[in-house]
Amino acid sequence: MELEKEIFKDGMPKGYYTQNDNGKYVLETNHCWSEEVCVAVIVSEVRANIEKARKEVLSGLKSPLYYHMEVRQMDPKFLAKAAGIAVFRVKRHMRPEIFAKLKPSVLERYAAVLAVSLEELKTVPNR
Amino acid sequence: MTTERKANGKPFVHHHAAHCESGVTSALLRDKGMDISEPMVFGIGSGIFFGYLPFMKLTGLPISTFRAAPRSIFRKTAKRLGAKFVTKTFRNPQKGMDELKQVLKTGQIVGMTTNMYWLPYMSERFRWNFLGHNIIALRETEDGFRISDPTYEHPMDCPAADLERARFAPGPANPHGYMYYLKSVNPRPDLRGACIQGMRSSCFMMLNIPMPIFGVRGMRFLAKKVIKSPDKLGFDEACRQLVGLIRWVEEVGTGGGGFRYMYAAFLQEAAQLFGSGELADLSKEMHAIGDSWRAFSVTAARIVKQRIKEEETFAKAGGLMLICAGREENFFENLNKVVRKLKT
Repeated sequence: MELEKEIFKDGMPKGYYTQNDNGKYVLETNHCWSEEVCVAVIVSEVRANIEKARKEVLSGLKSPLYYHMEVRQMDPKFLAKAAGIAVFRVKRHMRPEIFAKLKPSVLERYAAVLAVSLEELKTVPNR
Repeated sequence: MTTERKANGKPFVHHHAAHCESGVTSALLRDKGMDISEPMVFGIGSGIFFGYLPFMKLTGLPISTFRAAPRSIFRKTAKRLGAKFVTKTFRNPQKGMDELKQVLKTGQIVGMTTNMYWLPYMSERFRWNFLGHNIIALRETEDGFRISDPTYEHPMDCPAADLERARFAPGPANPHGYMYYLKSVNPRPDLRGACIQGMRSSCFMMLNIPMPIFGVRGMRFLAKKVIKSPDKLGFDEACRQLVGLIRWVEEVGTGGGGFRYMYAAFLQEAAQLFGSGELADLSKEMHAIGDSWRAFSVTAARIVKQRIKEEETFAKAGGLMLICAGREENFFENLNKVVRKLKT
């Protein structure tokens, strides 16, 4: 419940058309309750995905690439298209032992697409 | 409403708008001296639509759009009002940015398509890979650009590197730095003719596209899918899909009720323009349809929140969509008849 109120307090209200007392349409910034619910569900899902990815990387199940992909809200198909690397290779690079052996040229392509530096790409934040 | 300076020192008035593309188009037209509101642009550009695209996915959720294809509103509006415009895409990001700077120097304001995720001034709830957000560049500043984003109340600053990344976002459906601006507008535009063209084309798109995923047919198709979804996908996944649907009805800058309120506002203006009572009645009907879309989204949100489990079911949500579909079919058939009687 707190999350719903919190994410809407960012000072960026959107406009919605409503009728005023004379029946004329005006732009107002009161949003509908259903929007709060939907945005809260989506934002919490994204946050949970990122946290899950971070834990999996720290426990050695996935490579850091997986974490950075989740941070940018992409999926392997999206990342493959963006980096110009085949989907099956991207999925393979999610495995830590294969990610560790990657050439710098491949890593640079990932770093450019995900907008992180090479050092950041090899690590995850350890909160 | 905020006044901002352009590159040549002339003022630009920033208006808050509900939807990005119609907001940008009306701002570009207003800048050239044509006084036109956002709903009017939305109606003339035949923005209202429905399409359910299960094969195209954004962040794992299928697209169910309530508006016409991106970029079409600007093109259609400009053509129907007799304005001359330029559109460009680029292979090379550097060339794209240079061209933008050059056009801005001549005192033009430029509309651009961007990826929402990479715009730095967006807050967390807007940050997702949506590749059709339209913004206006006003002028170059020391370390970036002054941006007028019509969905927000005030103009913003955006660093050049971030804008380049947003315009040339890597990935599927890359906007390729799509930019557009008006060269000149018709000083005496045929507003009535443009309205009639817009409404007729909307009627065609909603009723006559021979594919089951577009228009009124698409609504029925999706409604049946929503009713079956908890059995087919399981409750959790069905809820996820439903959340995606609420986002398309309410969240993506629709002005409420999946653009239906905005279209009602357009019909009200058109009724004044033609002095037609029938159009005013249709505007009221459209407002009622918007209310039923809103009722659908509230029911769907209650399902997601699991409030009153016995009453709020997927069957009820799907039923509300079927009601919307029936009413809209009726509405557009009536509109088709009324438009044929109107004279330019």
